[in-house]
Amino acid sequence: MSLLKPFSRRPALNTATILLVEREEDFQQRLAEVLVEETAVTLNVRLAKSLPLPFKNQHSRPRIDLVVFIINLTSELSLQSAQASLKYLDPGYFLGKVCFMATNARNAAVPPERLDTLRGLAASLRCTLLFAEDQTADGASNASERLLTILKVAAGLVPMTTALYLSNLTMCTAPSNTNEADFD
Amino acid sequence: MEDQMKSLLRQLVRRIPTQFLKVTLEKWGRLTVAQQQNIDFTQTKWALADELIAYCEENGLALRHITELEMIYVIDNPNQGMWHAFQLVDPESDAPAVELMQFKEQFKSHFNELVRNVSVKMKKNTDEAVWIRIAWGDSCSRPNNMRPTYVVHYLQTPYVFVTRLTSKQKPLLSQAMIIATRHQAIKDAHLSGRNFSAIRDLLMQEYEQVFPAKYPSALVERSQIPALPNIEREQAEAEVNRLQMACEAFGGGNLPQLQSVVYKLETTFKDPPNQTFAEREKPFNCVVTFTSKNLLESLRHCASSGIASTPITPLLSSIPRRGRNYFVITDKVSGPPSQINQTVN
Repeated sequence: MSLLKPFSRRPALNTATILLVEREEDFQQRLAEVLVEETAVTLNVRLAKSLPLPFKNQHSRPRIDLVVFIINLTSELSLQSAQASLKYLDPGYFLGKVCFMATNARNAAVPPERLDTLRGLAASLRCTLLFAEDQTADGASNASERLLTILKVAAGLVPMTTALYLSNLTMCTAPSNTNEADFD
Repeated sequence: MEDQMKSLLRQLVRRIPTQFLKVTLEKWGRLTVAQQQNIDFTQTKWALADELIAYCEENGLALRHITELEMIYVIDNPNQGMWHAFQLVDPESDAPAVELMQFKEQFKSHFNELVRNVSVKMKKNTDEAVWIRIAWGDSCSRPNNMRPTYVVHYLQTPYVFVTRLTSKQKPLLSQAMIIATRHQAIKDAHLSGRNFSAIRDLLMQEYEQVFPAKYPSALVERSQIPALPNIEREQAEAEVNRLQMACEAFGGGNLPQLQSVVYKLETTFKDPPNQTFAEREKPFNCVVTFTSKNLLESLRHCASSGIASTPITPLLSSIPRRGRNYFVITDKVSGPPSQINQTVN
């Protein structure tokens, strides 16, 4: 199995690499263009449709610090493709180097079960779940700022903080079964 | 001036949008320069029509001049009304040698033999197309010029495009067409649409064809989004392959603006989880229609972005390959199991 391993290559100085996985290949391009505008750190962005990644690029591929799965909630196939890709990640990534980003969560056509499934998935893997707005430029820049915060920690560029520590603070929790009536 | 001429002129003025009317009248050239300059295009269409009727009476124009005006307009703006394509089959030995004058004479003489009281007008356009305008009448009435049929034929090709033809008129036109072009039969090409240039380009394959190549670099270079240095696509090769296959099936560059495709399914319903329908042995008749502003462009995008799986199914790739947009799909009943179990005809 061609697993993507987190520590198989040496890190480069002041560099961070992020992998954006999205089945529709739509939001990832805009997000990438905003991300590379960052000047404090040398940022590499790799875009993919799904895992496993092609074997050919293995030698030229730098160490990937953060893997982000972009899931469009209006499409069931998007979620399924992300779930299928998870198998190709080495377990070492799940210590804070994987993040889920959901788009179109406000859309009325989204069945609530899909969001619950996604939250359950993120909670069981102890990963962060972010929500992004993909239709406007502001949405892309907000999403990129949040990703950069997590990425800098995951790449080890923030002193006194590790990816595992940050993920303990930001990880998704499973939706609990409280009824709204209980709040009265 | 006769009533029919007046009503035809009024209908034309109503139909033609004002900006085209000016250009069309100039091309027509039957009004004097002074009259042309005097026309006030900002008045209402009714008043404009009255003015034109007055000028035509002044110049002593006849019905055939008015139909000339209509023909000029239709040739320049053919994308209206529903066009149907037909194909001539079984050419005789001298079919490729048919040239314009011969075609004109043969068509007119045979047509007048077949139908009485019909007025036929022919014009050869600069791009080798022969446009024929037919106003039908029968033994008791004069030709009805308000609902003419337009036929376009490209000489030396087996394609004929027709608009506004009723089923009673069809055999007469077919007969005349077959004799004039020296073929033996004419059949329906199953291609129709509102956009004449689109169906013509599709049938005569006048769009950019892409052929299989070992190093498809030209296509890739043209389509690549300018990439920033730090962004890299991991699965770029797969993407390029998909784009290449999509372009091979549908064509590169600008595609003819076909607007709909209809599949008539007469297959049995196959869906293992759904038991209520699956038990029936009789075919499940169903019609699937795809419509879009530019259907071929959308299908090509579906294939290149991975929504439609590659290699592209022959159901979709037959649209440009065979130049049709109406398909009837039946199950193949008996045959070796290794063949695909759907026939497209």
